[in-house]
Amino acid sequence: MTDDMGLIVKTMARTTIPLIGIFGAYVVSHGHLTPGGGFQGGATIAGAGILFLIAFGLKEMKKAYNKHLYSALEGIGGLVFLGAAMLGIGTAFFYNILWNNGPILNGEPGTLLSAGFLPIMNLAVGLKVFTGLVSAMAAIALYRRWKS
Amino acid sequence: MNGEAILPYLIIIPLFGAFAMPIVNLAGKKAREAWAVLISALTFIVSSVIFYHIWNTGEIIVYTLGAETPFGQGVDFPIRIVWEVDLFGAIMVFIVAFVSLMAVIYSIGYMKHDTGLDKYYTLILILELGMLGIAITGDLFNFYVFLEIMSIASYALVAFRNDTWEGIEAGIKYMFVGSIASAFVLLGIALLYGQYGTLTMGYLAVKIVQNPTVTAKVALALFIAGLLFKSGASPVHMWLADAHPAAPSSISAMLSGLVIKIGGIYAIARILFSIYTPMAHSIVLEAYLQPHINMSAIGWIIIIFACLTLIIGNAMAVIQTDMKRLLAYSSVGQIGYILLGLGISIAAYGTQTGEIALAGAIYHTVNHALMKALLFLVAGVVIHQLGTRNLNELSGLAKTMPKTTFAFLIGAAAIVGMPPLNGFASKWLIYESSAIFNPILGAIAIIGTAFCTAAYVRVLYTFFGRPSEKVMAAKDPETSMMLPMLLLVLAIIIMGLLPWQISDKVMIPAARMLEQFRFEYINALMSLVGGA
Repeated sequence: MTDDMGLIVKTMARTTIPLIGIFGAYVVSHGHLTPGGGFQGGATIAGAGILFLIAFGLKEMKKAYNKHLYSALEGIGGLVFLGAAMLGIGTAFFYNILWNNGPILNGEPGTLLSAGFLPIMNLAVGLKVFTGLVSAMAAIALYRRWKS
Repeated sequence: MNGEAILPYLIIIPLFGAFAMPIVNLAGKKAREAWAVLISALTFIVSSVIFYHIWNTGEIIVYTLGAETPFGQGVDFPIRIVWEVDLFGAIMVFIVAFVSLMAVIYSIGYMKHDTGLDKYYTLILILELGMLGIAITGDLFNFYVFLEIMSIASYALVAFRNDTWEGIEAGIKYMFVGSIASAFVLLGIALLYGQYGTLTMGYLAVKIVQNPTVTAKVALALFIAGLLFKSGASPVHMWLADAHPAAPSSISAMLSGLVIKIGGIYAIARILFSIYTPMAHSIVLEAYLQPHINMSAIGWIIIIFACLTLIIGNAMAVIQTDMKRLLAYSSVGQIGYILLGLGISIAAYGTQTGEIALAGAIYHTVNHALMKALLFLVAGVVIHQLGTRNLNELSGLAKTMPKTTFAFLIGAAAIVGMPPLNGFASKWLIYESSAIFNPILGAIAIIGTAFCTAAYVRVLYTFFGRPSEKVMAAKDPETSMMLPMLLLVLAIIIMGLLPWQISDKVMIPAARMLEQFRFEYINALMSLVGGA
């Protein structure tokens, strides 16, 4: 008995996983312009990871998933968020210095390069949510056996 | 200003430590232990600076996130998250950072046989972060977020040893009960926000005074219900008696010493005094026959729960044979004293009795954090060295583990309130005020202590008995476990030598600042209108 699904599901997964990933990346990167943001986008991308796990099975997942890498990336997501929050510490914690007089990210409101540190924070949260959810699902899928 | 500039680092440092832990962990076991100790030591330094600053100047620090002032452009109400720390908050910050540092140092030796320790140290730093956040925040929703950070970290830590049945059972029980309690708090916040349209504690107080509606009363009932769960008050203390024995002992020390106080006592005190301002309701509005919330009735409700907690907790401690379960019930009993002081301070608001009761409650919070942390660390040593918590198997421990037994002796004597130790002064303040307020309450408090004494004398009697076979092979633990116990013993003895000085210089001013006879907490926020 194999732990993957049938040919049709696997083929469909091959086509939809990139689409889900791209859509999730879109939601994350446009978090300051459209509904959604770091958490929603990150959860969407994690959905692609879970589809991979279910469609291709645990054996394939073990090859693609590296525990240390994912937990380090989750930490980096948090650190980037904290770093962005600390940029304006001279005025106040979470002071949006990039919006008020930053390089690049202080464009016209409504364009991609606006809103100061918000895009950075969305990316960080997206990374953290994606890696966290995938790690959690992988850990549950790897959990020993049905009996003890 | 010094205190204001350093306040955010109280959150930044543990957050940085926790987020960096998975990366530091790649460098190996020694690195992550050193990292955890370093981060909690730095947090402790920051907390001492903040405590000293507030104690020295007597001002309330108001820190705004995201801008220089909490008020937006052209509006006269606060729109941003503020952190507002008065002396009670600063005391809690200091004690949280101190006991957490002790627990982290202790974990090096205590947890070395366990696996998954990178997660353990991350969680312990997150737990510390949540507690510090609760102590400094001045925003109701921010308070809820930190409460959940603390609670979720403690659920995970209670169930950390997930290969034992009791860890899982206690974790599930704690999580279900705690989540319902958190939901009550969130519902209360939602009601207040729907009614008054603000979440800043100081400004919410102003709005409630202007229009004390039924919604505010319902929200208060929900807060008290939810937070009594978190503090382990009596009808809902059942999670505590399972969670404390099942958790690793360093975590039990933090749970019992800090979590139930910050998430329960501190939060209740903050909500009652800073959002519902008894000054306005019991004194000003009542005098002018305006609609107001009857704070004295609220005080009596807390007193009733306190008396129940006091008797049940201490009485249940007497009949336990499991050492950590005994300590857990004893925590419930001591929470009863703190709640009694708190309840009297609301019911007798504006009198000197009320002030003494509140000072006693704050003082006992600090003292109990120190001594219960010490007692749980001792219990951890016993489990670590002997592999049992059953008191019937521990006779004669004094022969083979003299230092550990001495630490337990000091902790037990302090908790029953022996005069040269710190428990005496704080319990005395509570006895005195309760006896003046209502002699029956004084009598109930004394009965609670009688039970408490019986429980600890029983343990000590076992420790000094004839050594059993199991105990003969035991010896005192390594330095990393001895050191925190030694420091806690020192703290208890030193605080015990200066009881009235500490009470007059720290606890009475803290109680006065919390009672806010001149609306200090609200004024500290509202004085920023128009600034910058």
